[in-house]
Amino acid sequence: MSGRRRLSLAWVATLPFFAYTVAFLFVPAASVMVGAFQDKSDHATFSNIRLLFDHPYVDAYWGSLRISLVTALLGCVVGLLIAYAAIRDGTPRWIRGVLTTFSGVAANFGGIPLAFAFIATLGPLGVVTTWFRNAGYDTSVRWPHFQLFSERGVELAYLYFQLPLMILVIAPAIDGLKREWREAASNLGAKQWQFWRHVGIPVLMPSFLGAFILLFGNAFAAYATAYSLNQGQNIVPILIGAYYTGNVLDNPHIAQALAFGMFVVLAVMMMIYIPLQRRAARWAK
Amino acid sequence: MRLRGPRMAPSAYVWLLLGAAYFLIPLYATLDFSLKKNQIGTPCCTLSNYSWVIHNGDFWHTIKISFILALETIVISLLLFVPTIYWVHLKLPKLRPVLAFMALVPFVVPPIVMVVGLLKTFKGTPHWFYAEPWGFLATAYVILAFPYMFFSLDAGFRSIDVHTLTEASQSLGASWATTLFKVILPNIRTAALGASFLTLAIVMGEFTIANLSAFHTFPIFLQYVNESQGFPAGALTLLSFLITWAAMLSLLLVGRKRGARGAVIAGVR
Amino acid sequence: MEDYEAQEVEFWAKLEEEGMSRSSMLRRSAAAAFGLTIVGSASTAFAANKAAMAAPTHMTKEGLKALVAAAKKEGHLNTIALPPDWANYKEALHNFPRKYGIGITNDNPDGSSAQENEAIRSLKGDKRAPDAVDVGISFAVSGANEGLYAKYFNSNYKTIPRALKDTRGFWMGDYWGAISIGYNKTLVPNPPKTFADLKKPEYKGKVAINGSPLSSNSAVSVVIAAALSNGGSLQNVQGGIDFWASLKKSGNYIPVQTTPQTVASGQTPISLDWDYNNLAYQAEFPAANWGFTVPADGVYGGPYAQAVSAYAPHPNAARLWQEFLYSDQGQIIWLKGGAHPARFADLVARKVIPKAVLAKLPAAAIYSKVKFASIAQQTAAKNLIAQKWPTQVGG
Repeated sequence: MSGRRRLSLAWVATLPFFAYTVAFLFVPAASVMVGAFQDKSDHATFSNIRLLFDHPYVDAYWGSLRISLVTALLGCVVGLLIAYAAIRDGTPRWIRGVLTTFSGVAANFGGIPLAFAFIATLGPLGVVTTWFRNAGYDTSVRWPHFQLFSERGVELAYLYFQLPLMILVIAPAIDGLKREWREAASNLGAKQWQFWRHVGIPVLMPSFLGAFILLFGNAFAAYATAYSLNQGQNIVPILIGAYYTGNVLDNPHIAQALAFGMFVVLAVMMMIYIPLQRRAARWAK
Repeated sequence: MRLRGPRMAPSAYVWLLLGAAYFLIPLYATLDFSLKKNQIGTPCCTLSNYSWVIHNGDFWHTIKISFILALETIVISLLLFVPTIYWVHLKLPKLRPVLAFMALVPFVVPPIVMVVGLLKTFKGTPHWFYAEPWGFLATAYVILAFPYMFFSLDAGFRSIDVHTLTEASQSLGASWATTLFKVILPNIRTAALGASFLTLAIVMGEFTIANLSAFHTFPIFLQYVNESQGFPAGALTLLSFLITWAAMLSLLLVGRKRGARGAVIAGVR
Repeated sequence: MEDYEAQEVEFWAKLEEEGMSRSSMLRRSAAAAFGLTIVGSASTAFAANKAAMAAPTHMTKEGLKALVAAAKKEGHLNTIALPPDWANYKEALHNFPRKYGIGITNDNPDGSSAQENEAIRSLKGDKRAPDAVDVGISFAVSGANEGLYAKYFNSNYKTIPRALKDTRGFWMGDYWGAISIGYNKTLVPNPPKTFADLKKPEYKGKVAINGSPLSSNSAVSVVIAAALSNGGSLQNVQGGIDFWASLKKSGNYIPVQTTPQTVASGQTPISLDWDYNNLAYQAEFPAANWGFTVPADGVYGGPYAQAVSAYAPHPNAARLWQEFLYSDQGQIIWLKGGAHPARFADLVARKVIPKAVLAKLPAAAIYSKVKFASIAQQTAAKNLIAQKWPTQVGG
């Protein structure tokens, strides 16, 4: 079979996928992008986009970026450590099954129930707060700077679904870290950290980067939890919700411009991710 | 370095314990709240809140709808994405970054915005699609699940040697379909299962699209209880957590072939 | 209520814009009432076609029987965004089916006014579309201008105060409430009575608002009420934003969403909300030992409005629902929930309100001081809040 014919057949196989995503993803997405450049009377305008650079909109982007980067990074690192702890040799197999299924549920635990779970734990009348108080340790006095109803609190709550997501995504990659390699490495006299530096981390890196992007996107788009835990949290999805369907503000075009801004941020992240990925994949192969 | 020893590494203990504490304590706090009575001055623990949930007809009705919807979404997603990603890994590696980028788009288009676009676009479609959750909503959920599906399956495909497996299978005379279903799929089982879990959880937790297109799914019921009831909301949270977890365990059992923990082809891991 | 006179002027101006005189409008309504197709603006023609020949725009006591029959034939009513514990809607949603044998589907009970209007837009032609909506006044105005609503003058139209209705007939104010401070009497033994009280250090970590002022109408009203108490006015609510910013800084204000769970568990021992919502908490959560006051230094009222969808799948049932809500019975249902119905003055004058119901409400004296903001003032307030709140109070 000639190379060219092979290639065209290959493309055909991906047709259903592209047809589906065009119909159900790109068409609504396009209407958003177009709407971002219109005003209420449907005239073309840049004013919505220009508005994004003013307070409070630009602050919302910074807020979203901060929270997303922090929770993605922490989620990836700690998630990897937890997943590895569960999958590695020596750990009973049932732990992995429990962790994976639990992660499946926890990865989508959010909004009011999650916020309330944290309030019931770390809030002023929370279970942990009360434990400490009964032990004579008044947290509001000793740690006056920790506030659950703040950006830190939101990040802490976000980890509840970021960590499980990481665990689920990285588990197959850890499986791929063949046991034989570790044995071979130890037979060759390599220490633990050497194994990780030269074999383990490079092999995991492409998946790690993919997981990071996924966690970043996940946090970037999340809003129900932040909304319930810290209403003043200035992040983009909350503003979009307010402009699009709140009881107060009513300008869908600003909401669409905000969504367009999110699109730009994610595009930038992808542009950083792709060359990094390529490099990491080279190492892995 | 003892690798084959049955003992668990100390660092593994530490991380697993920390993880367990972080995940379980908030759940315990919710449990504690759900066992309280709606009266002042009564001592602890009552199961009346759980009883309220279990005897609520809406609870069972909406769980059934959401669960079926989740299964439908998983099937459609796997049918759509597994062959595509397999193909891309095998023949069109340059397309991978394009897919990865596309997989991020659902994050960018907030559900609030997407549902309005979808409602407008598909208003003229036949009743069995537009007015039923099995049509319209499942379609939208496949898109929502896309990023999670893609990155999970992608990691899975990357951890196996797609080319060797395919060539081996084809040299033994298998067709594409056989290769895909009998050789490749078992090897990415963990990734596919993980992706399915995520999809199940997404559908059992998706609120905005169902809400704005006026369907009555489980998350709608959950939100309603959270916004109008006090103590029963805590009971419902835990029950829904447990039920979704049970659903996942059943998925795990279904996906697990009797005995084998991942099909192995001789010579290949 | 001079603010509403301003609004009235605004409406006559809009009427002029549409080029209709009052008499021609009445003529058109009469024609519609006799089942003739209206020749006029596209949306009304469409509504008339869609709404079947028998859906009237004017109702009288005599025409009610026919309406009931037509509604029963349709057999169902779709409502939207009516939380059962909001202004005692639970009773209305329960009694209407009992009285007329017409089942109700109440969609998206916690939806916002924007979502209600959006549902009319996106579900047009679908039998799940809402028949009638209960929205904030500014959304009622914009919905009417957009052509989302059908004209309907219910049989009790005359006794609705002028300031609380659209004289073109597209929406009617249904009830209003005043911003109140709710508190858990067990956890807050010395409850705050005014906005100034909220600043006291003893309430550190205890004060919450029901929603965010960027997306919740009641939260915006809390900010406006705070402005009234803190040197601001209906024209300029910066004082309200400053008030909450200082409360956030002192740690008194916790920016967490008040939910029934947080109220029942005591995590939000003080919550600012409409009086009828705080009254509902009192009944629903005995564990919370809830009480509330309307703060004397900032008495701010907010009305909501009823409107019939121009694309209602059950147009007669929708109109019957309006008749039900605006009847003495319906109005008293809202009053039982602590919300002042639009026809309150008329009901009081005719002495038809049961004493027990009146006794549950806070004293009338405080309500006489209530201030309402005009549409223009509300819009200005919302814009200022959108600008300043995220950076001043958020973060």
